[in-house]
Amino acid sequence: MSINTRTRNTLAGRHPELTAPQLKPFGAKKALNREALAGILFVLPTLVIFGLFKFLPIFGAGAMSLTEYSLNGDFEFLGADNYTRLAADPNFWQSLKVTFLYVAIFVPFIIAVSLAGAVLLDKLVRFTGTFRALLFIPYLSSFVMAGIIWTWIFSTDGPLNAALGGLGMGPVPFTSGPQLLVLLSLAVVSVWKGFGYSMLIFLAGLKAQPAEVHEAARIDGAGAWKSFWYVTLPLLKPVVFFVLVIETIVGFQVFDTIYVMTGGGPARASHSLIYFLFDEGFKFFDFGYASAIGVVLFVIVLILSLIQQRFFEGKDSK
Amino acid sequence: MTATLSTPAGGRHPAGRPDQSPAGHSPRRHTEKRRQRTLTWVLAVISLFTVAPLIAVAVLALSPADAPTLPYALPSSLTLDNIVRIFNVGEFPLWLWNSFLYSAVSVVVVLLTASMAAYALARKRFPGRNALLWAIIATMMVPVQATLIPTFILISKMGGVNTLWGLILPTLANAQAIFLIRQFVRDMPEELFDAARIDGASEWRTFWQIVLPLIRPVLATLAIFVFLWHWNDLLWPLVVGQSDAARTLTVGLATLNTETASTSNVMAATLVSFIPCLVIFALLQKHIVASITHSGVKG
Repeated sequence: MSINTRTRNTLAGRHPELTAPQLKPFGAKKALNREALAGILFVLPTLVIFGLFKFLPIFGAGAMSLTEYSLNGDFEFLGADNYTRLAADPNFWQSLKVTFLYVAIFVPFIIAVSLAGAVLLDKLVRFTGTFRALLFIPYLSSFVMAGIIWTWIFSTDGPLNAALGGLGMGPVPFTSGPQLLVLLSLAVVSVWKGFGYSMLIFLAGLKAQPAEVHEAARIDGAGAWKSFWYVTLPLLKPVVFFVLVIETIVGFQVFDTIYVMTGGGPARASHSLIYFLFDEGFKFFDFGYASAIGVVLFVIVLILSLIQQRFFEGKDSK
Repeated sequence: MTATLSTPAGGRHPAGRPDQSPAGHSPRRHTEKRRQRTLTWVLAVISLFTVAPLIAVAVLALSPADAPTLPYALPSSLTLDNIVRIFNVGEFPLWLWNSFLYSAVSVVVVLLTASMAAYALARKRFPGRNALLWAIIATMMVPVQATLIPTFILISKMGGVNTLWGLILPTLANAQAIFLIRQFVRDMPEELFDAARIDGASEWRTFWQIVLPLIRPVLATLAIFVFLWHWNDLLWPLVVGQSDAARTLTVGLATLNTETASTSNVMAATLVSFIPCLVIFALLQKHIVASITHSGVKG
């Protein structure tokens, strides 16, 4: 006993580091508890914020979509009624049609423009930084600002119609004409505002391509176009797919430009899915029904995200 | 995807490469020179399309009211009258202030809470950690519009409609920020934290004096993007800020545009709203470009 005490005294007293292994079981457990406590305290603000404003609303959206929910907070359980109502609502199908048409115009358009911009910047030797900045600048603006500028550009007495008038052509109703023209005009605005982002992603993809492959194609006598089509583009395929999915999701969420430029018109020609949700929720205060529209949007975006993930996981495992 | 944009572009271009036998290759160098000149011109024309609308805004905003201006004529003189007017008339200064608070408060709180959470999720073992991380990442798949209605109901039940706190609170949940910072903290060497523990640094001090300084680059990037997201945001402020007390600049601009405000007023307000974005870009261009190409932050 006395030996024991002495040992402990000497070791613990003079050389605490030597006794550390002996004390580990007890010390480690205590440290783990302290560690767990610290961890929980550090995530606590995030836990509260996410719990209230992410997790709760996500479940709330699903739950509310099954009810008739009125402004004063009264609700009635409806089951799947809101969804059967959606399936029978011509306005819903119209908004879905508008959104798919818009995506079909917007996505190829923005990919073509951003890819072209990236290829040109990649080939340029001098002033690359300057031109990159000049092409990217519209990305900093808001969709609201873009909408305001292009409302003016597209207006009857705007610069575009002034130029067309100079050529002897009548005013073109860019934002109030036939549906395809209006959706094209809206796509132009979003492409102008958004292509800089995808362009930078493409540019990084191009810079990562091995120079030898391009050199080999050139030696084999491939011209610029052939080399792009048979060498550059196939190598860029994963990046193209990534941008494709991202811009498709962006396309499905189109709202701001429509709100500023057309108000969903003329005659629902640009009444997109989010615009439909916004109208049902905040014009007619039909919250249950609007939540069901939100769930539909979620399902569409989820399918796109899953396609993207499967594609990227498949690529990684190879 | 991992290459830097700062890689000298000339590296793999014939033009950037010193010719081994200048005499023999001179025709090729000639065509390359001509090609570069064409390329520069093509890009100059494209730049005109991207920049001209912005210049038009500036010209319209600075044109004297009631004088002939774009698209039919260039103004004979420029004036700040329109800008001064929108600051003196109406609620414009209040919208500007609201937008500033909406963006600035969000940047500070998101960066702080996200770094704290990222540190804990990357470095601390506690019950439920993996489930929480998974749940946070999963929320990135849900578009904000899908939860617009329940979030609005929640805020209205809390009495937050038409208030700044009601506007700001729900936008503080930022999964992307946590995800990005966590990757940085996870890759830090464990010795760093061992050293702090041996020195007897408290958990908070370890976070504040070791973690935060080291993640400064990713924080700077996130600050830019969180600011732009909020400054340019429309749907949520439109829904929750219906009165001037909580109306942001984007909502105000959208309303001005649909109402019959004069073009010079709308363009002056639009120009002012764009200046902070332009300043940020001018100061931090390299940061923005690098972060998009490396991590794919989506604004």
